[in-house]
Amino acid sequence: MRAALKLLWRRWLARRIPPAASVRLNQRRIFILPSRVGAIFTVVLLLMLLVGINYQNSLAYGLTFLLMSVFVVTILHTYRNLAGLVLKAGGGGAVFVGEQARFRVRLESREREHQAIALGWPPARLVMRDVPREGQTEVDLDLPATRRGWLRPERLRVESRFPLGLLVAWSWVDLDQAVLVYPRPLEGELPLSAGLGDEEEEEGMRARGQGADDFQGLREYQPGDSKRRLDWKAYSRGQGLLVKDFAMLSGRDLWLDFDSLGGDSEMRLSLLCHWVLQFSERQQAFGLQLPGQVIAPDYGEGHRDACLRALALFGVRS
Amino acid sequence: MSSLPGIPRVALIWLLVAQVLVILPHLVHLPLWMIALWLVAAGWRVQIFRMRARYPNGWAKGGLVLLVLAGILLSRGTLVGLDAAAVLLIATFTLKLLEMRTRRDALVVIFLGFFCVVTAYLFEDGILAALYSLLPVTALLAALVGLQHSGFAERPWPTLRLAGGLMLQAIPLMVLLFVFFPRMGPLWSLPLPSDKGVTGLSDSMEPADIAELSRSSALAFRASFEGEVPPRAQLYWRALTLERFDGRRWSQSSYADVPVAPQWSKAGEPLDYSIIMQPSGKRWLYALDVGEMAQDSGRMMNDFRWQRLRPVDRPLLYQVRSWPAAAREASAEPPGLRQALQLPEQGDPRSRAWATELKAQYPQGDALVAAVLQHFNREPYVYTLRPQPLGRDSIDDFLFNTRRGFCAHYAGAMTFVLRAAGIPARVVAGYQGGELNPSGNYIQVRQFDAHAWVEYWQPGQGWRSVDPTFQVAPERIERGLEEALTAEDGFLDDQPFSPLRYRELAWLNQLRMSWENLNYGWQRWVLGYQGEQQLKLLQNWFGSLDWQRLALALVGTGGVLLGLLALWLLKPWQRRADPQRQAFRKFERLLARHEVRRAAGEGARAFALRAARQLPEQAAQIEAFARYFEQQRYAGEPVSRVVLQQALSDLRRALPWRLSR
Repeated sequence: MRAALKLLWRRWLARRIPPAASVRLNQRRIFILPSRVGAIFTVVLLLMLLVGINYQNSLAYGLTFLLMSVFVVTILHTYRNLAGLVLKAGGGGAVFVGEQARFRVRLESREREHQAIALGWPPARLVMRDVPREGQTEVDLDLPATRRGWLRPERLRVESRFPLGLLVAWSWVDLDQAVLVYPRPLEGELPLSAGLGDEEEEEGMRARGQGADDFQGLREYQPGDSKRRLDWKAYSRGQGLLVKDFAMLSGRDLWLDFDSLGGDSEMRLSLLCHWVLQFSERQQAFGLQLPGQVIAPDYGEGHRDACLRALALFGVRS
Repeated sequence: MSSLPGIPRVALIWLLVAQVLVILPHLVHLPLWMIALWLVAAGWRVQIFRMRARYPNGWAKGGLVLLVLAGILLSRGTLVGLDAAAVLLIATFTLKLLEMRTRRDALVVIFLGFFCVVTAYLFEDGILAALYSLLPVTALLAALVGLQHSGFAERPWPTLRLAGGLMLQAIPLMVLLFVFFPRMGPLWSLPLPSDKGVTGLSDSMEPADIAELSRSSALAFRASFEGEVPPRAQLYWRALTLERFDGRRWSQSSYADVPVAPQWSKAGEPLDYSIIMQPSGKRWLYALDVGEMAQDSGRMMNDFRWQRLRPVDRPLLYQVRSWPAAAREASAEPPGLRQALQLPEQGDPRSRAWATELKAQYPQGDALVAAVLQHFNREPYVYTLRPQPLGRDSIDDFLFNTRRGFCAHYAGAMTFVLRAAGIPARVVAGYQGGELNPSGNYIQVRQFDAHAWVEYWQPGQGWRSVDPTFQVAPERIERGLEEALTAEDGFLDDQPFSPLRYRELAWLNQLRMSWENLNYGWQRWVLGYQGEQQLKLLQNWFGSLDWQRLALALVGTGGVLLGLLALWLLKPWQRRADPQRQAFRKFERLLARHEVRRAAGEGARAFALRAARQLPEQAAQIEAFARYFEQQRYAGEPVSRVVLQQALSDLRRALPWRLSR
């Protein structure tokens, strides 16, 4: 029942305030109701009215009516403080899961000053700003990125209680903003593959790696390392469990391969993400191989972003 | 409630100002220690704000509360009742400000402040007090506005201006509510401020009491007549009768308290008038003889006085119809007539002897009364507010030795003599005359118009009023106390600054009369705007009292008022299309005067280039404007009307001056 109502409400809002990169608040888009302070104020007014009635005091009546009228007049002022405000979507950079996605919203005033405008996604605390007359203000709103893919925030709440706090005027706007969220980078084994369809990865690797610095050296095995990278020869020599550590690879193209990894797909994507960042930092060319998607080996920022984007959107229905 | 806990500086400033303004009118009835407490608390609060002191801790707070309670108990003797409650309210208001940390606390302080303002109205409700109260209310609203600031606003004045603007805009709606909101009777009875210092008649009279009253220029009541105002010699406003005499003091008898209207019959022309009575703290009302009032105003007691069920403790408006020529208890002997013959067992032998003598001389009651009046007229009696003190036999001393006194002496002495001569008589206390306000067609009666006269009863003709003072000092009756006392300074000699002392200064008198007029209007239309007055006004406006119609009128007018205000506030006709486009249009118009016109479909850049070619001397300014325009319009630079306007005016100054075309 509740969910159904919520859905209805969202549909109605979407029709009334359609998503747009720039929204001007007007009477169709602003809602206004007394706030909790307003309710308390009403109780105080009733008490004052009681004094007026019981003491037959015209001045007490007068002050009560004056404050009542101020309350009513404030409806117009609270509405006016929000009306005419233009909200524009600003750009927001991509983030990794676990970081705060930053949405930039530009508040523009065409005519009057707008004071104490609060923005945000409840229940998080709203950010408050003043917009000068015929000026503008930028607000950065943070939202925690919890899942990779496109982060589309809920409708943004814009509210104002100015001038008296007795009423709250608000709107729910959808600035059609989205931030791309990359997987959380996870340090771990290197999901290298020699190429497409190579079953004997290690062998192939070694064969191809001859003559080059395939790996820098060996290090102690740690739980979690791939058994495929164990140096069995060293083990047989009685040197203990050692893992081949690929630190610097050059020469041949490297392929980061989704299928060469174990674990669930989110973990694999996280590992891939880590290595995409690592290689990019070292200016190392690499290719990315995802089921159904192959990005040819390359390097540079554009390549990195393309790879990260592919990782972020892997398996995400757009 | 905003989630931000801190209180903005602007709000704190206005709260402190509001506190001063709220407490000031209460100072007259607050105990002194409260003022000290307030100063300490305010100082402490300022120090907290300057980070030089800490918030009071739990012990300090508890101690302060106990201190306040003990203080109230000591200075007021009780913790209940309106006075104690008012002190308690102010104390709470003061202390809450001290321990206020969050916005929520600040809200509590502001709402308490509004309540304190209302409480002040119960003690003082004049025009000036009402106007003054707008100051604390504005400051409190400013504090409320300050609380809503985002924290970037630093200057207090715009906040005050906004609060004042809100109040001004609310006034039409307030007047509407004031006129239409239905008034009802008190829901329960409440204590009233006790130290209102009501002066006025009391239910017993020693001559000195009335002399006391003659020094007060406080207003007793106002009467406005529907027809012509009768001459002042006929204005005997009855309040009560005094029938018991103990040798010195006249007082009310228990018999007069019987709430049974005596028998009387109407005669002659009636007088219609309404009275706005100042609070007297007593139950009786004032009326000319013989008054008739509506049932809910009061009821007639056995001695023709009118009385309410509850004391008059706030201004009261009532309508009276009086029959001056009515016959009172003429047909039958009143049941309590014996009380009107009561005299002390002994004392005043000479007066009693004189009465016996008179009775022998004038067997007819009327003739005897006339003889007594003539006695006062012929013998050298003096009307003065400063008589010599009287001896043990006060009536004898007055009639045969001092012969100096004022109304209470004459009325008391005459009643005594009539009773001693076997004629039922009593003293009537009330007011006589009053000052006619020529512009308002109403009469103001002040405490110094207090008066006492005599009425006696004769079979067949009933009660009749006579005034011995008239025989001694007719000017007192015809022109007022001030005229009667020209020879001495007894008149208002305690009040050197009372404007009533300076009536001979014409302009001052004019000013005073206008002020009185204003006060009268205030009393009648604002303070007295309760039940009956409201019904009358609404009946005048709407013909009949159909609540549905009234509600419709209220909602309709309110809607229109709000609509007008909304138009004025939002100015939908002034919606500026777009500041950049507007500036560009001005740019076009300016260049058109120099024969450079934008072709249809020509872009801003192309047009500017062409213009720069045609006006090479101003090319730099044209180029600058076009650059700013493009930056703002297309490159997402901050929109600033000022920059564009500056560029435009630079161009205008660079161009040779030309009116048009």
